[in-house]
Amino acid sequence: MKTEVLDKSIVLCRACDLVVRKRALPTGVRALCPRCHTNLYDTPYCSINGMLALCITALVLYFPANFFPVLEMHFLGSIRTTTIAGGAMAVASQGYWVVGIAVLVAAVIAPGLLILSILTQVLIVKYRLKVPFFRNIYKKLLKQHSLLAQLSMLEIYMISIFVSVFQLSDYTDLYFGIGTFCFTMLFIMVIFMQREYDIEHMWSVLDE
Amino acid sequence: MSKLSRPPQGESLGLTNCPTCKFLCHLEQGNCPRCGQAVQSRDRTSVQKSWALLITAAILLFPANLYPITIMTSQGQVRQDTIFSGINHLVHLDLLPIAIILFTASILVPMLKIFGLALYLTAISYRLPISKRTLMAGFHIIEWIGRWSMLDLFVISITAALINMGQIWDAKPAPAATAFALVILLTQLAAKVLDTRLLWDRLESKDDTN
Ligand SMILES: [Zn+2]
Repeated sequence: MKTEVLDKSIVLCRACDLVVRKRALPTGVRALCPRCHTNLYDTPYCSINGMLALCITALVLYFPANFFPVLEMHFLGSIRTTTIAGGAMAVASQGYWVVGIAVLVAAVIAPGLLILSILTQVLIVKYRLKVPFFRNIYKKLLKQHSLLAQLSMLEIYMISIFVSVFQLSDYTDLYFGIGTFCFTMLFIMVIFMQREYDIEHMWSVLDE
Repeated sequence: MSKLSRPPQGESLGLTNCPTCKFLCHLEQGNCPRCGQAVQSRDRTSVQKSWALLITAAILLFPANLYPITIMTSQGQVRQDTIFSGINHLVHLDLLPIAIILFTASILVPMLKIFGLALYLTAISYRLPISKRTLMAGFHIIEWIGRWSMLDLFVISITAALINMGQIWDAKPAPAATAFALVILLTQLAAKVLDTRLLWDRLESKDDTN
């Protein structure tokens, strides 16, 4: 019985297992572990409708961002373009398939799955949370979330585009394509989406 | 009395966080009531797993740095660049900011990561006189910054896709690219697999009361 009372009012630090008494927090304030300074909890600000809007926008941008060229090179009168997947295929076709897969997963597949996963989660929370079948899907998606989030590296790809432009600008003229614009917008949408998203809150929806 | 000398750990109360959904579980339950994942207080094999991944990564760091990572052909002239000589070349082209970015992402971060994780693992096994708080802060930085090493691989893929005009102008990845990709993968896994709570179980040693 004593532990039952404990359960509601304490948290354990994920990094060091310290027992910390939980207090109510104002919005936007985070509680840190007093011993190791790891993030403990915050008041989740998790707007389901906001995330739905961001997911749909991101999904719409995802296709042009991946199918239109992100860079165009004008060289001796000819124009070369490349898409993100095109870059991955180029290295894979030279025999460096480990590199090709890494690029493809980090810049195309993981971000795409992440957007789809969050969209599905949001739709389930909004409309079908009571149905056991969808509840199970919801749990499975939440379990995969941190892996997908860690694998998507849109921000790093973004910087890579600029690094490539500067590196090559000495030799030739480079132009940004429509793909670059869509990719930048996609990147911004995903940043906002991940700011809204709170995994603890998504799990806690199941308890209600 | 014992409470003063030893801050309460979840383990001593028979409680733990579910590794997947962070739900507070009783250890005797065995499985998390919310998501069904098996729960355990500490993953004691995680130090071993982490060492194994880290040592493999450290070995691969040599081919990754010693072999060429790109092959450039320009008007029939072939030029092979290692990570370091490529950065050096950028310095000579007066692209200092780009050189600094690539140096950080491709040389500094992987080396710091391997060194930092090795230090961290040694600290767990041998009670090194280093403040645990410092180690933990370092670990969080390592976890976050490790992804940025992918930058070089992205740049290589963009360059290889744009520049392929046979003998006139051509860019290709070279053997170090695969080794480098594996170094990033293995170091990320080594950090992810490690159960950091093991470090804090050794509070009796006087060097690290906080
Ligand atoms: Zn802690």
